[in-house]
Amino acid sequence: MSDERRGSAIDITGAKRRHRWRGLVGVSIARLWHRQTRTNSSRIRMAVVVVALTIALLVCISGIALALADGGAMQTDDADVTIAPEGSGSLSTVDGVESARLGETNERAAQIRSAEEVEHASPVLVEPTKFETPGGETRTILLVGVVPDDTPRTVAGLSTAGLEPGDSHYDGGSYAGPTERQLVLSSSAADRLEASAGDERTVSSGVIEAAVPSLTVADVNAAGAAGESDAPIALVHLSELQTFAGSSDDQLADRVLVWGETAAAESAAMDAYPDATVESTSGGDPSALFDDGLAFATSVVAVLIGVTICASFVATTMGMAVDRDRRTLAVLQTVGIPLSGRLVVVATATVVATLCGAVGGIVLGGLGIAAINAVAGATVASGTVAMAHPIFVPYALAIALVAGAIAVPYPLAIAAKTSVLSEVGR
Amino acid sequence: MRIPNRSLRRSSSADTEATVDDETGPAVRLENVRHEYGSTTGRFRSRSEQAVTALRDVSVDVKRGEVLGLEGPSGSGKSTILHAIAGLLVPTDGTVSVLGTDLTELSDRGRTRTRRRHVGIVFQRFHLLQSLSARANVALPLVQVGLPKSARRERATTLLSEVGLEDRVTHLPSELSGGERQRVAIARALSTDPDILVADEPTGELDTDTGADVLELLTDVGRDRAVIVASHDAATLAVADRVVTLRDGAVIEGER
Repeated sequence: MSDERRGSAIDITGAKRRHRWRGLVGVSIARLWHRQTRTNSSRIRMAVVVVALTIALLVCISGIALALADGGAMQTDDADVTIAPEGSGSLSTVDGVESARLGETNERAAQIRSAEEVEHASPVLVEPTKFETPGGETRTILLVGVVPDDTPRTVAGLSTAGLEPGDSHYDGGSYAGPTERQLVLSSSAADRLEASAGDERTVSSGVIEAAVPSLTVADVNAAGAAGESDAPIALVHLSELQTFAGSSDDQLADRVLVWGETAAAESAAMDAYPDATVESTSGGDPSALFDDGLAFATSVVAVLIGVTICASFVATTMGMAVDRDRRTLAVLQTVGIPLSGRLVVVATATVVATLCGAVGGIVLGGLGIAAINAVAGATVASGTVAMAHPIFVPYALAIALVAGAIAVPYPLAIAAKTSVLSEVGR
Repeated sequence: MRIPNRSLRRSSSADTEATVDDETGPAVRLENVRHEYGSTTGRFRSRSEQAVTALRDVSVDVKRGEVLGLEGPSGSGKSTILHAIAGLLVPTDGTVSVLGTDLTELSDRGRTRTRRRHVGIVFQRFHLLQSLSARANVALPLVQVGLPKSARRERATTLLSEVGLEDRVTHLPSELSGGERQRVAIARALSTDPDILVADEPTGELDTDTGADVLELLTDVGRDRAVIVASHDAATLAVADRVVTLRDGAVIEGER
């Protein structure tokens, strides 16, 4: 046979194989669709629903893990280097859950600022704080203490431009200087406190010193501005927040942000805090999950549980569905479709049912994340507790595919054991 | 009636085991066929204690263009012969040749390929896929042939027209009468243009008039094929050119 004829034969064989595969997949999907829409068979429907719920749970847990790793909007900043306590990657927004903090931050930030090629350094202290609204209701927002300078910077998703530069209350370590009592609110915080620029709001709880009972709104950052924060967050001067929170004695802060040439900033940071974690800033990145032990462990557990539940349920329900539908497989055999083709039909149905469940799960998971944030915001937290991310879509589909692949052998084994004579021999 | 589509028969060289086409000999030949259904239960019993003999030294030839009737009571072996011809079972002893190819020598894949190309099956209970339209059911055997969707649909539509169901093409089996379902089943059996048609009680689920229509259709489409019909029903067997009577798995009367 000439090369040309051989090539032509291969083309025809390849085309036939494609048409055959498409045909078998089409038969499988048509059967699945018919069973879902025109019969009372609940097995496949149940498999789809359970996969959807499991994937939704997985998405929610992954969203929480991502928020843990990312610190939510609180870590949306434009700093070049971040100093954080060793092993404290998770920064929780939930009241009462605190990670380790850095000490002597005011002094050491000043030391870092004095280094060459470092533009600015500011400790960042985060404290959930309750305020009273004009209607007398108590609302929680996150107060973020910073030391602003003349250059507008983004901290916790908000611009520091609205705050008076410097930190006058600190006054060289005395905490006796004049207070500015300024607030820069995110739009969400402004909504929550029913406040606009120029309004005054009173802190309603916490370890508040009577000397600073109220703060004035200096600015409201609209959503979509600099940091694009939509969490209920407000910037205040660091020393004033340290005073509110009782953190002034040890000059505590959650992080120290450094702006400037990265290498110089890192070097200065290492000198100031040799035992802390110093890293270049990377906020809102799912890869942060791998850098954070708790978040990573949470994600891994969620994946293992998700895959196990999905695979178990899909295998069981699809196995039962195939067992009940042996006659169809027998008919396929009688019309000349070999075992491999029949297994393609079963495997396709299994994978498609799993993927349908995954799509539903992604939608439910997105709603779940919104619900978690809404409930947490109204009760125990003042920030984003769970984050949605576009990568959750391929992630959830991939997990569902893995679960489907693990589940497939069982229905295939049942299909392979189908006896054509016992099904159509009567 | 014959709706030839010889392009369906073309095959690659890898398919030789199932493409032997002996134009001179009988389309179907059973020689000294014996079959036992062994029980898989009773682990501690011997096979001989559990086995049921379904066929005893059956030898039958069927020529092209001939309609062979198989008659006999339930359990006499009629269906077993049909299943052996279709390659759905391999007899315990003897040979079953289809167009000169001994099915007992083929693998399961080879028998499946032979069945797809040369044998159409019509069941008493139709065995249509409820989730597929009449056209999709008829096109089902063509999926494995590797025809494009448009060609499958075209051929299925043509066949449905030939059996008088041109206005039922998109109907599901549940939307068809018994006679219409059997017509769809016959069209499906003809979709790969087989040389042999086997029908197991094709009128068993139909009323007399509908059954007569289906029989007329069967004999019409079987004019240049070998058709083997198993039935209890004398009216059904009346369309046969020749009737073989079976009892307890053995031929007790032939050439009637």
